[in-house]
Amino acid sequence: MGGACSRKRDQQTNEENAHGGVSRRYSKSGSSKWLGTSFSRASVDKKEGNVICPSLMELCIYKISEEIHEYGTFSMIPRDISQQIFNELVYSQRLNEACLEAFQDCALQDINLGEYPGVDDAWMDVICSQGSSLLSVDLSGSDVTDSGLFHISDCKNVEALNFNFCDQISDVGLGRISGLSNLTTLSLKRNNSITAKGMSVLSGLVNLLKLDLERCPGVHGGLVHLRGLKKLEALNVNCCNCITDADMKPLSELTNLKELQISCSKVTDHGVTFLKGLHKLALLNMERCPITAACLGSLSDIAALLYLDVSKSNLTDDGCDKFSKLKSLKVLNLGFNEISDAVLAHLKGLIHLESLNLDSCKIGDEGLLHLAGLDHLKCLELSDTEVGNNGLRHLSGLVNLESLNLSFTIITDGGLRNLSKLSSLRSLNLDVRQITDAGLAALTSLTGLTHLDLFCAKITDTGTNYLRNFKNLRSLEICGGGLTDAGVKNIKNLRSLMLLNLSQNNHLTDKSLELISELTQLVSLNVSSSRVTSAGLQHLTKLKNLKSLSLESTKVTANDIKRLHESHLPDLVTFRPE
Amino acid sequence: MKKEDTVKLISAEGFEFVVDKNAAMVSQTIRNMLTSPGGFAETEHREVTFPEISTTILEKICQYFYWSLQYASGKETEFHIEPELTLELMMAANYLHT
Repeated sequence: MGGACSRKRDQQTNEENAHGGVSRRYSKSGSSKWLGTSFSRASVDKKEGNVICPSLMELCIYKISEEIHEYGTFSMIPRDISQQIFNELVYSQRLNEACLEAFQDCALQDINLGEYPGVDDAWMDVICSQGSSLLSVDLSGSDVTDSGLFHISDCKNVEALNFNFCDQISDVGLGRISGLSNLTTLSLKRNNSITAKGMSVLSGLVNLLKLDLERCPGVHGGLVHLRGLKKLEALNVNCCNCITDADMKPLSELTNLKELQISCSKVTDHGVTFLKGLHKLALLNMERCPITAACLGSLSDIAALLYLDVSKSNLTDDGCDKFSKLKSLKVLNLGFNEISDAVLAHLKGLIHLESLNLDSCKIGDEGLLHLAGLDHLKCLELSDTEVGNNGLRHLSGLVNLESLNLSFTIITDGGLRNLSKLSSLRSLNLDVRQITDAGLAALTSLTGLTHLDLFCAKITDTGTNYLRNFKNLRSLEICGGGLTDAGVKNIKNLRSLMLLNLSQNNHLTDKSLELISELTQLVSLNVSSSRVTSAGLQHLTKLKNLKSLSLESTKVTANDIKRLHESHLPDLVTFRPE
Repeated sequence: MKKEDTVKLISAEGFEFVVDKNAAMVSQTIRNMLTSPGGFAETEHREVTFPEISTTILEKICQYFYWSLQYASGKETEFHIEPELTLELMMAANYLHT
């Protein structure tokens, strides 16, 4: 029973998070940004622990925001104040086309309406009336069209424009920004209409530092217009399947380029040769590109290269000796390539490596020997490899490791004692069927753990006794089917838990919900496929921080949860069954 | 209340508000005036004139000072602002860093 179903996460291409710093908030449909606003301001402040008295300024701004329809214009008040009123209206979602009128000619500097509901061309008059004061505009996810951009050229000083997910902006609209030579940031993610022809306006944006064209399928041939943009530091053409080797050629002149993202393009080894002279390049993302290890030769002189993603490409062992030249690398993603232990020998000298991803590579115990000296390693991903207990011995000295993923490997309980000295470990994934209570017993020294994944491990109530050592745990998953209410008793004292997944433990009853109700920090709870009933839901009313609740395949009905949501847990964002 | 524990705030029309120094120092601007060493004449005379702030607004501001002290000590009541005063009050709050 239980445990029969397992799963693997984080396999999808993570284009947007190539180096952790890229925000995922832009997406027209899947956004939850506006779901969070049901929090009252007071409750947010209280969460921080102390009473913060609102300033008189804030009180006035809230007041104006509440009675916004009473105000005809703010153009006579100083712009820093009207800016604060504007921001508050956006935050509280009170801004609409009608009250926007009050901001006509207010000399606002920032119009941040990314993903704001209802924004369209009718808003653009007021936005453009800010004229030369305007410095940044975010209209991501809006229905603004080419004609809405007609007066954007009045905003001569604008430095940042974000038009992500604006599918009604085409080459014509892009033409309107041609004179905005103060632009440093331009973002046009997921635009189907922009073509090489329209991109000719980019050649005039000589101060551009950052250009984002992710998921723009029509930009092939357009990068030639970037040739003169000598200041350009970051270019993102991830998931532009149209991009080919020819598009790389004009990039060879952009010697200030520090970040280049070309994942899921058609760029081959030949295309990479054009990057040879980009000596400042620190980040290169070539995930899912049809490249081989031969391209590494073109990169070996780039001393600045810190981050390299060549996952899901056509890499084999052949030519991988060139990795040894990339001495500055801190982050290397080799995941999902047909590479073996032999490749790891070439990584031995990359002593600055902090993160190494070998997910689903054909590597085993022998290869890990070469990693033993990489003592800066903080993050090691070995999921779905042939690593076993002997391999873990080579990791036992990597005392700076903070995150280790061993899911779907062939390790067993006996190997885990090799991890017992890794006192920096915060996140440990042991989603492995062979792991049992005995394995957990060997890990009790890892008291700093904040994330522990035992998804399909065979953990029983006995094993939960060892969990008491992990007082700092914020997320815990035990879904092997072996837990009963008695085991949950040991979990209820892990008061820092924010995520708890105990699904598929089909012996758990309402008693478990009662015990769990003491974990008041919980944001996400999953007790699916258990014996819990609607009678047990009353215990969950204490979990005021809960945003996600899953009780699928139990006796709890959609209506029961809905009622709980409406009467006690207004902040729930997702719940199952629904 | 001892005289040295109070300050006098004077409105544009010349109306004087004598308030607790601690209350007045809720305003960062007034705090700076009263505490900067050897700087402002205000420090010595414990008297600040606001030629741009009307009596009505200054009175409201003094109310806020006391409300704010109460709030910080745990008495979380609502501070009422008359709609017709809001804009002017906000400009003054901005100036007073309050």
